[in-house]
Amino acid sequence: MHQAIAFRIAFVAAGDRGDAEEAVQDGFVKAFRALGRFRDGAPFRPWLLQIVANEARNRRRSSGRRAGLALRAVAAASGDAAPSPEAAALSHERRDELLAALGSLDERDRAVLAHRFLLDLGEEETAAALGVRRGTVKSRTARALERLRATLGEEEP
Amino acid sequence: MSRVESELRGLASFVEWPDTPDVATVVAARIAAPPARRRAPRRLGLVLALVLLALAVALAVPPARSAILDWLGIGSARIERVDELPPLQLIAPVELLGEPTTLDDARRRAGFPVAPPPRGEAAPDGVRVVDGRRVSYVWLDGDRIRLLITQVPGLLQRGTILGKLIPPSVTIERFDVDGDGAVFLSGGPHAVYLLGPSGSFEEDHGWLAGNTLLVDHGGATLRIEGQVDRERAVELAREMG
Repeated sequence: MHQAIAFRIAFVAAGDRGDAEEAVQDGFVKAFRALGRFRDGAPFRPWLLQIVANEARNRRRSSGRRAGLALRAVAAASGDAAPSPEAAALSHERRDELLAALGSLDERDRAVLAHRFLLDLGEEETAAALGVRRGTVKSRTARALERLRATLGEEEP
Repeated sequence: MSRVESELRGLASFVEWPDTPDVATVVAARIAAPPARRRAPRRLGLVLALVLLALAVALAVPPARSAILDWLGIGSARIERVDELPPLQLIAPVELLGEPTTLDDARRRAGFPVAPPPRGEAAPDGVRVVDGRRVSYVWLDGDRIRLLITQVPGLLQRGTILGKLIPPSVTIERFDVDGDGAVFLSGGPHAVYLLGPSGSFEEDHGWLAGNTLLVDHGGATLRIEGQVDRERAVELAREMG
């Protein structure tokens, strides 16, 4: 199902639950009506996610709200599967620290990291959702990671 | 991967996202609802009519990652394999098949060679026409459509494309009927929409279809839809030849 990923992308872009929900609805309806413009052979999901993300950004702009990402960490890892080694290695304090550092980044940096790491999207889908080229996703990710490390007071690896 | 990247990946499992709302129902209703903006009255040759039929079936969407796996075309129909169907709900007033008329009148107004109804079937309960675009024969069972046979002009002739989105639950069989290319779709509902000459999605509705045979015959594409198996559908197509 595309609903969950579409909603989260919209939430990152809109910064508001209600706007994200409306963006997903509008985006799905638009996508359905625009099926004829969909390029044969192109992957479907990035196309759909791009439409939804655009809707969400437009909503945020028209609301005049500053982009923000109000995410919190839960106490236990989500999902039924055993936590990944990466998840298991994170202390409670470290999670909060990372989220706070992410939240302090500017909109572009935060968005690219949220798409690539928190939503686990590939470069192509991230590029579609952010409305940028794939190369831009690469360079923006690298810069955003540097700034995140700087915010955390950590050195380059 | 650097430490911070690895930590961000780990963080993903702990992020508390707002619950995903169920948008499918609303989206389906909006797609099915008449558009807020009324279109100009339909004019000859300008309008691509759409919605032929809808079955009151709630759409079960198989969860799957999404990519178009395959598409193939036949006549004026384009068939795409998709991992899941767009959310869509059904509308189906018979009126949307076009104006009721007589067989002779429909043939005159079609603008492309129209085959007669199959010899082995009773006379259709209705003949419908959308000028220059489509002729449909409808057989009813009570107020349900039991069998629907639609003919649309060939792609080169009119530029109209009948699009079909096929989820994994539907089997696509390709073969030929007396030398004409044919496709039989069965096993579950698929989505149908119409494209205009510019390739854009011209109307606001799609619909769900059951078992369907498409045959590219001469200047027209024949579409037979109903509770028929492949053998019966092919028989019907032959009875129209």
